[in-house]
Amino acid sequence: MITFEHVTKRYGERLALDSVSWHMDEGECVVFLGHSGAGKTTLLRLVTHETHPTAGTVTVGTFRGPRLARAKRALLRRTLGIIYEDFRLLNDRTVFENVALAVRITGRFVDAEVVPRVLYALEEAGLQQKQGAFPSELSAGERQRAAIARAIVNRPAVILADEPTGALERHSAGEVVALLKRIHAEGAALLLVTTRPGVAEAMGGRILRLDDGRLAGEGAPPATAAATTATVTAAARATLAQAPPSAGAASTTVAEPPGGASAMPPPGPAGPAPGAAPGGAP
Amino acid sequence: MRLYFFREAWRSFRKHSGIAYTAIFSLAATLTLCGLFLLLAHNAQVALRLIGDRREMVVYLRDDVTTEQRDALVARLAELYGGATYVSKQQAWDEFAQQVGDPQLLESVDQNPLPASLRVRLRPELLNFPAMQQAAKQVSEFPEVEDVRYGGEWVRRLDELSAMFEAGALAVGLVVALAIVFVIYNTLRLTVLARRHQVEIMSRLGATDRFIATPFVIEAVAEALVAALLALGILLGLQQAFMRQVVSVVFLSLPWVAGFVVAAMVLAWLAAMLALSRVLRAVGS
Repeated sequence: MITFEHVTKRYGERLALDSVSWHMDEGECVVFLGHSGAGKTTLLRLVTHETHPTAGTVTVGTFRGPRLARAKRALLRRTLGIIYEDFRLLNDRTVFENVALAVRITGRFVDAEVVPRVLYALEEAGLQQKQGAFPSELSAGERQRAAIARAIVNRPAVILADEPTGALERHSAGEVVALLKRIHAEGAALLLVTTRPGVAEAMGGRILRLDDGRLAGEGAPPATAAATTATVTAAARATLAQAPPSAGAASTTVAEPPGGASAMPPPGPAGPAPGAAPGGAP
Repeated sequence: MRLYFFREAWRSFRKHSGIAYTAIFSLAATLTLCGLFLLLAHNAQVALRLIGDRREMVVYLRDDVTTEQRDALVARLAELYGGATYVSKQQAWDEFAQQVGDPQLLESVDQNPLPASLRVRLRPELLNFPAMQQAAKQVSEFPEVEDVRYGGEWVRRLDELSAMFEAGALAVGLVVALAIVFVIYNTLRLTVLARRHQVEIMSRLGATDRFIATPFVIEAVAEALVAALLALGILLGLQQAFMRQVVSVVFLSLPWVAGFVVAAMVLAWLAAMLALSRVLRAVGS
């Protein structure tokens, strides 16, 4: 699905990635954990072909090569769902229009086909009540869920998430992690990068540690093992209880590093089976 | 999907109406200047056509030419150069008398000195100086012909004037075309840069350049259409005012109007494609 073979990336004199090799399969969940500047975002930018490797080869599905033509690059990005730390929503459009844009970009659907797809994604993200709201009218957590709805609306094979909880407070972060786990449980591969060991562990996938552009090992850092396993806050429990009735049983236990007073939400409600029709979607 | 592109173009127009109105008024001013010259060139062309219609060759006949010879010559001239009308010696005298108008002066002439002639209305393809010169030379070699007149110098000047107008129209057209491309190019660059955030997001979501560019192109072409109609309105107002106050001026004919509007839109489309191909590479990485 995604393979890096001895990939090196330099920005001028600065070495962002140093001969990194790794692979992820279809439906797998891989989390890159590392401090700020470790090369996590560069790694995602290489996957999306926003930048090109200085050396080595990046393969994403059938797309392979150092520099894709613009049309092929667009095609590659349509096979991915991308979630950013800063949401990257269009502020002059409603939540519905933001999500619909991703469908229209594929060029495969007429207007009448766009609506049910968007409503389905919004329902999965628990935002059907907010479809007419503008991003400025949403909380940070809701904005990130809108971005997730946009990422999943075309049912991509891989979801890329660049520090998806970075701009969120504890409660919203828990909601987002639960939602991502549910999407992964439905069959999508998930590639997530984060600085937070708690989030990495909560995702329940394979953890690869990045340190100054090099792969430093697999699994959570030792410090995290001793971390306090967070308990679910009442607020997170209440919010998750409002999720669609078909929501899955993905477990969301987030461990925080020592000294962290945060508590992430635990198991979210059961998610829908892959391909299941959402209740109430037109 | 097509509706989506038009909605996006309208959204962009509303959101960046300042830039859009600046583009429309700049284009309208440019097109009005262009239209003024077109109006001048069109009126000059109409006037030249009227004058050109009166270009004819006068073939003076020898006094001893018989009626049969004259008829044969008329048929030959009609076949080679254009319809010929016979003007007898008496008719020529009557015309001369009418022009002079002074009976005493006319009485001083004992005998009609004017020759009979054939007035040849030349075919359109012969209405230029070199062709007329050659025709006159050929006709003068016919045995029945005494002399041939066609106002060579006057015809040459008329041709020069006509060529000058055509060259002027071409030069002004080129300058205006460049101005339109320049205005649209820079307007679109500003619009795209103002919407850089949106373009970047769309690019990262997998939008093709065509998908991103189409609303901008529609916007540019629509702005050119509005500007062209505005310019035509101004020109029509000027023409009406000029006609009432000064002298009769004809407005552009329908094909000229259509050509004016279509040319503005095509140029806007070209400029938009040029601008977007460059700016999208810079913005949508």
